[in-house]
Amino acid sequence: MIQHDALIVGAGLAGQSAALAAIRNGARDVAILTKVHPVRSHSCAAQGGIAASLGNSAPDSTESHEFDTVKGGDYLSDQTAATILAENAPDTIYELEHMGVVFSRTEDGKIAQRPFGGHTSPRACYAADRTGHAVLHGLYEQVMKAGVKTYSEWYMLSLVIEERQCRGVVVMNIDTGEIETIRAKAVFFGTGGYGRIFQTTTNAFASTGDGAIIAYRAGIPLEDMEFMQFHPTGLYRHGILASEGARGEGAYLINGKGERFMERYAKERMELAPRDIVSRAEQMEIDEGRGGEEDGGAVYLDLRHLGGERIMERLPQIWQLAYDFLGVDMIKQPIPIQPTAHYSMGGIPTNTDGEVVDDQENSVVRGYYAAGECACVSTHGANRLGTNSLLEACVYGARTGRSIARYVSNGASEEGAEKALKDAQARAVEYVERVRAMDGPERTADIRTDMKHAMMHKCGVFREEKPLQELMGELQELRARFERASVMDRGRRFNTEILETIEMDHMLELTQVVAAGALARQESRGGHARRDYPQRDDQSWLKHTLAYRQEDGTPALRYKSVEIVKYEPQERKY
Amino acid sequence: MSELITFRIRRFNPESGEEAYYEDFTFEPPNPEATLLDCINHIKWHIDGTLTYRMSCRSAICGSCAMRVNGGGQLVCNAQFQDYLDENGVVTIEPVGNMPVVKDLVTDFSDFWNKVHSVNPYVQYADEDAERSNDGEHRMDPTDFAKINEASTCILCGACYSECVSYEADRNFLGPAALAKAQRLVNDTRDETKQERLEALSEYGGMWDCAHCFACVQACPKPVNPLYRIIDLRREAHKEGFHDNNGSRHARGFVEIIEESGWLDEAKLPVKSVGSVSEFVADLLPMGVRMGLKNKYRPNPLHMIPGRHHPEIPKMEEVKTIIQKTRLDKEDETAEAEGEADHG
Amino acid sequence: MAEENGGTETERKRYAFYPGCVSKGACKELKTSTEIVAKHLGIELDELTEAACCGAGVTDDVNEEMTDALNARTLAMAEQRGLTLLTQCSTCQGVLNKLNKEVQADEDKRERLNGILDETGYQYDGTVEVKHLLWTLVDEEEYGISKLKEQVKRPLTGLRIAPFYGCYILRPSDLLGFDHPHRPTSLDELIEALGGETVDYKGKTKCCGFPIQMMRPTNSFRMAGTHLNEAKTKGADAMATPCPLCHLNLDARQPDAERVLQQDGKLAGSIDLPTLHVSQLVALALGYSPKELGMDTHIVSTKAVEAKI
Repeated sequence: MIQHDALIVGAGLAGQSAALAAIRNGARDVAILTKVHPVRSHSCAAQGGIAASLGNSAPDSTESHEFDTVKGGDYLSDQTAATILAENAPDTIYELEHMGVVFSRTEDGKIAQRPFGGHTSPRACYAADRTGHAVLHGLYEQVMKAGVKTYSEWYMLSLVIEERQCRGVVVMNIDTGEIETIRAKAVFFGTGGYGRIFQTTTNAFASTGDGAIIAYRAGIPLEDMEFMQFHPTGLYRHGILASEGARGEGAYLINGKGERFMERYAKERMELAPRDIVSRAEQMEIDEGRGGEEDGGAVYLDLRHLGGERIMERLPQIWQLAYDFLGVDMIKQPIPIQPTAHYSMGGIPTNTDGEVVDDQENSVVRGYYAAGECACVSTHGANRLGTNSLLEACVYGARTGRSIARYVSNGASEEGAEKALKDAQARAVEYVERVRAMDGPERTADIRTDMKHAMMHKCGVFREEKPLQELMGELQELRARFERASVMDRGRRFNTEILETIEMDHMLELTQVVAAGALARQESRGGHARRDYPQRDDQSWLKHTLAYRQEDGTPALRYKSVEIVKYEPQERKY
Repeated sequence: MSELITFRIRRFNPESGEEAYYEDFTFEPPNPEATLLDCINHIKWHIDGTLTYRMSCRSAICGSCAMRVNGGGQLVCNAQFQDYLDENGVVTIEPVGNMPVVKDLVTDFSDFWNKVHSVNPYVQYADEDAERSNDGEHRMDPTDFAKINEASTCILCGACYSECVSYEADRNFLGPAALAKAQRLVNDTRDETKQERLEALSEYGGMWDCAHCFACVQACPKPVNPLYRIIDLRREAHKEGFHDNNGSRHARGFVEIIEESGWLDEAKLPVKSVGSVSEFVADLLPMGVRMGLKNKYRPNPLHMIPGRHHPEIPKMEEVKTIIQKTRLDKEDETAEAEGEADHG
Repeated sequence: MAEENGGTETERKRYAFYPGCVSKGACKELKTSTEIVAKHLGIELDELTEAACCGAGVTDDVNEEMTDALNARTLAMAEQRGLTLLTQCSTCQGVLNKLNKEVQADEDKRERLNGILDETGYQYDGTVEVKHLLWTLVDEEEYGISKLKEQVKRPLTGLRIAPFYGCYILRPSDLLGFDHPHRPTSLDELIEALGGETVDYKGKTKCCGFPIQMMRPTNSFRMAGTHLNEAKTKGADAMATPCPLCHLNLDARQPDAERVLQQDGKLAGSIDLPTLHVSQLVALALGYSPKELGMDTHIVSTKAVEAKI
């Protein structure tokens, strides 16, 4: 049995921030575990920026950032969480800069900032259009410097919690296939999102929601899972992200007829309205026959008026992506784009210290922490503003790291963990052996394709009661089909087929949680848009969803209140 | 419907006890614009689930999917199969080179990471507390940012190590990605250990061991182009006075020879490059004799005398005008003559 | 002008010829052979005698601007003549081509360099093409492989030749755009057109080791030795290379390469594999004698090659 004071699972911005903060605040024995090498974490794919009211190119304030975040979240944000986010943003950016993160600069040498959707001031600090990459690699430099023990390419199979006390995790060394237990006083999840349950997504193949589902299976509820953000500018048919930074730099959105259609949906902010609004606008243009390309399924991101020099300086990566994947030179042509599943606002419920909470009263599960996309603290409410995700991962990652340092230094309980971990290990071994032996007529890939298609079309940008009900049935069928799937690779070493099959198992369970939350929520708010309930309904639905796993594997829904501090909900206009 | 294509993939199963082998997968491509990764996924998901490789973001930023395609290291997610079919409709996929193979297309990156670690790949301050300061950002001039812009785009995918000839010849070589990272830190205005870095990087295994073969430039999927960053390092080392090694002597000697006569004197350059009499005796002399005996090359020994040189090219005055205009900073030159900035 | 002369004259090719320093020093036999080939094929070489050294990718380690300005002057000389610039050295080609492409794409850089050239009377507008002799012999738009085939008097039948491409003629391919960077064919095509047989081996697109000969001789000679030994093991009678710097490491340094391989335990006896310049190979097939081509000056005896032709 491996032992550490603190185990950080996931090595994106949240995980690495947590590890570094825990160490810097006195935790001695901190280890990181990740299913991909730390720099392969999906945080690297974030492009446009990280928010902070530095005011480097226009006056700004933390209050303004805070309000924009709450309004952007369609008033589902817990407001203390949003306040902490905005207030800690400038120091977090300065700290990253001191660590060595490479930021683009203004003429006078300060960190450059650009406008972003839903933010009323240009507060997106950026590194060209590879901000996530810059921050991830900057943090990893510090992880190397600190010599943090890292289990790279180790896969978590289960989390052990007994009576609101976290005991550790069961993991697989991918290289050897061996299954081990790690006992830890504190376990942190920074395991990312689950965009892979949708047909079109910006997310990496690794974004399968493992952490969320493993928590769910350990008895932790999942919060607000119906709130999925669709990014307005995914490369047509590929879903690959083309940064909102493009619109921050002044790009237009045009439909198949060449009209700047945002005029109809957000007259004032136009292309820089929040993502939920822009994605819905695009989908409406497409649905009403004003799309472009052969099947009318695209609209366009038009950067031509920005000129080649600015594009190559500020947006070189997306120029290359559009060129490599669509053969489009964006200096000369508009890029065909479509809404693409991007970010999950929901996740593992936590308080503002990153402690996981498991009920309507926010009772703490001792020794268990989460931050970043897998968690729901909830700063983003029903819709996250662009550039707030990197910020949240860093702010709450570090904040949680400090909580962990306090916890492990204060004589955290370790008693009685051994048996629970051994039992969990035996169950995990049995589970993996069952997967290894799968020998049915179905192909996992086909089930996955059908699942992603069903989610996209029945639980996508727009949702409605009847298709959602159909979807619930289809997901049950897919689960039954999955029981008859097969695995060809029966080897032990580096068996990625077994991993993909386990990820598929995780995703199938997640889809049911997302779909159930979406079916139940009879209103439209932020990333959740119901055609049959087009209005926000604060009377009935100003509340967070909590989905609990029942014996039969299906979710039971409960709700908890939203924390309103400074900002009473009002109509959301842009 | 569409033409069948073949992926010839190098397979290796560590548990079978068999040697590595090539397997052909012939199939209808998932779509005409499919990337190489789409095709490899198609094989895994529809033909042979045992095929093993790394991949994640599929948008050329996570650095997981470097492989050798038709003989060269690259990512497979950002390239379409159409551009890689040979005349028989075959694409050859192998694991990246210069690393032990774990299984199929998965290789062991341990030494790659060791090399990256070994350049102290993080900003170093004289006062370590400065790192945690929240006291506003450092100012960095946009021109200083430009010097680290390209190196900072590195995704550590390892495609460059796959093809690096110096790393192949000698595992002590730091290699392209680690040297690119080092260049970023040498030129990062926040770092306060430039001198220590340049000194270490001038040692055996460092910047002067690169053979300038462009294989890393060819392989690099990003604008890092490690060779060009290594050249940046050499310029910086020259500027900062790290002159006591054959690489620096060679480059400076070459420039001096051109300044004298406009063209290369092949006898003089090696003599200017070596740092000791023993190197001259052990290596240069036998080669000189060898070439002289065969009448391949018999330089005039009088040209070797300091202040003298082989004949100038015609219109040498034009060359001198250019040299005059492009001389590096005079102050540096003076300081160097006085030995002040010389770290020899 | 050429057109007025009619007949074969219309097809005469004329180039601004940049021979490169090595062909005037340690590889004089290269220049001799190239001139023989050019004369025989009716290719006119207008030699740029006033051009300075290209810097061989070394001088810009110290002084980029000087290197670029001297090379811009060379390109301007070809431009003044309205001719394509021809090299017989991969390295000269690579260095000049890279600058050429940069200057063509980057107006600021062009202006800066022209500012330096001002007093010399040269200005470079970016209109020149830079080509290696090998390319012009193979490319049907230039002299071309089919015409070359017709000229072969003494086919190199039975001669097994390992093409050694090296670096500068292949990489970076997006800049040079002639051969495939990993699976080049031009030198193979040439060998076959001359009646020879090509030997395939892994090292043919790798580095000969020359650039680190002075810095890390063991590594340098290990590279040369590995490729030579591999070609020899695959049955080659000789290597052929478009780069005189490769030639120096593969030929003049072959005894050193053998020593390193022996120390590595990779070689028992000697390698004994001669290395020919591209133009020597062509001239041999055109009927010239090894002596005329300076093959007797090579460090590794070319007798075995001579015996086969």
